[in-house]
Amino acid sequence: MLSLGAQEIPLLEGETVLEGLERSGVDVASGCRAGTCCKCMLRADSPPPESQSTLRPTLRAQGYFLACQARPEGRLTLHSAEAPTPVDTRVEEIEHVAEGVARILLRPSTPFPFRPGQYLDVLHPDGHARSYSIASLPSDGVLELHVREIPNGRVSGWLHGRVQGDDVRIRGAFGQCFHVADDPRKKLLLVGAGTGLAPLLGIARDALSQGHAGPIDLIHGGLEPGRLYLREELSRLAEQAPQLRIHHCVLRRATQHEHEGQLDELAVRLAGPLASVRAFLCGDGEIVHKLRRKLFLAGMPSAEILADPFLPAPA
Amino acid sequence: MSLYARLGGEPAFQTAVDIFYRRMLSDDRVARFFDDVDMEGQIAKQKAFLTFVTGGPAEYTGQDMRAAHAELVKLGIADEHVDVVIEHLGAVLTELGADAKDVGEVAALAESVRDQVLGR
Ligand SMILES: Cc1cc2nc3c(=O)[nH]c(=O)nc-3n(C[C@H](O)[C@H](O)[C@H](O)COP(=O)(O)OP(=O)(O)OC[C@H]3O[C@@H](n4cnc5c(N)ncnc54)[C@H](O)[C@@H]3O)c2cc1C
Ligand code: HEM
Repeated sequence: MLSLGAQEIPLLEGETVLEGLERSGVDVASGCRAGTCCKCMLRADSPPPESQSTLRPTLRAQGYFLACQARPEGRLTLHSAEAPTPVDTRVEEIEHVAEGVARILLRPSTPFPFRPGQYLDVLHPDGHARSYSIASLPSDGVLELHVREIPNGRVSGWLHGRVQGDDVRIRGAFGQCFHVADDPRKKLLLVGAGTGLAPLLGIARDALSQGHAGPIDLIHGGLEPGRLYLREELSRLAEQAPQLRIHHCVLRRATQHEHEGQLDELAVRLAGPLASVRAFLCGDGEIVHKLRRKLFLAGMPSAEILADPFLPAPA
Repeated sequence: MSLYARLGGEPAFQTAVDIFYRRMLSDDRVARFFDDVDMEGQIAKQKAFLTFVTGGPAEYTGQDMRAAHAELVKLGIADEHVDVVIEHLGAVLTELGADAKDVGEVAALAESVRDQVLGR
């Protein structure tokens, strides 16, 4: 039996979810019907594991499955594809942590479920929506964002002008860039440029709080040393967790505390063997693209590379 | 049984696609045609390619070969590039355990769509 909103759809003997939906006239995309093309991907509460086996771990963790491969026993509750409802938050703190970068803590007025490393949309009063990644854990009670002010940027500029107590409306959470505790010994490689640190901080703290035992290498890149922020906080985190190593990288003017060079080249060098690593790549779109390509060509399986390019909103 | 099934079906293909795409991106003769910003989408398409040429799921309903390569024909793909693709294809399949006969069959299948791919 399938439930989809108010609709109840009984499944025939041996029928897949895809076949059942089509038979009942539900408009659902499909392609190969053999678990390869992923066009019929849907979401549900605990779908049959065999319908998830070829998907990324992050998709599996969120209940995504392939409708053409699912023959559920008992009831399967499907999620509809509606956008999540907006949530009101209040600015709890705003702190300038580096040139042009603010760390903003938002306290949601109603529950806001998310995975650290996912992103939310900030809804500007004029109707513009922009994405920002979440650096905090649900147990922190506040949502931590790192926002770079873009010259003439509508939403980043507006956020930089907020003060304690102001209202900020958000929606979310979205995205596939988060920790899944499927292998506590796996090596995690976290590489971010600029405010790409925000999701990585969330992912690293999340992995540690879930008892991750394997090595975690966090590589933060910036133009020059002054652009790298939250360095003390990162050092403190690494002191408490011996498996966490922090590397600072800059393009120019390195001191003895930073490596100097292109972030993708440094990342491959600092990471060591890549065959059984999971990578998270966040920040500027062009940099993430180069990182992804470099790591892939150096031998990382594409399924283990999770990336969140911070692409500008479409004009 | 199709070659797709004999080589291990879906799980083996995830690996095969990575190897194939890595080869294409590393080969200067064809790399520029694959230099797409969206690697995730590219990988899905390489998977479609390998599934197609090894007789995978028969109901595969991707774009037809002509439409899929129309933009690339404008960018200059020609016979020599199809040769490169067939060369790497053979190498990847061999790496996965296909024998010479299998590789020959796949090459023949790829040959059969050469004109469509090149928009002739
Ligand atoms: C998944 C995702 C996660 C993100 N996470 C973060 C985050 O954690 N922190 C963060 O600071 N940003 C993040 N971003 C980027 C953010 O969503 C906005 O794009 C950014 O803040 C600019 O929005 P704006 O309204 O201020 O500028 P807009 O009004 O959209 O743009 C103003 C002008 O600046 C240009 N522009 C936009 N972005 C840039 C840029 N990066 N560099 C140079 N010029 C630019 C535009 O093309 C336009 O001409 C993320 C984006 C995505 C897609
Ligand atoms: C033997 C000949 C070939 C076959 C059978 C073949 C097959 C395919 C298939 C099945 C797809 C996926 C289509 C889709 O579902 O969207 C595809 C896409 C693609 N092919 Fe080929 N291909 C061939 C030759 C080539 C050559 C010679 C090149 C370039 C050097 C090339 C470059 C590409 C690219 C870049 C895409 C992605 C296109 C896009 O992003 O829209 N192919 N091919």
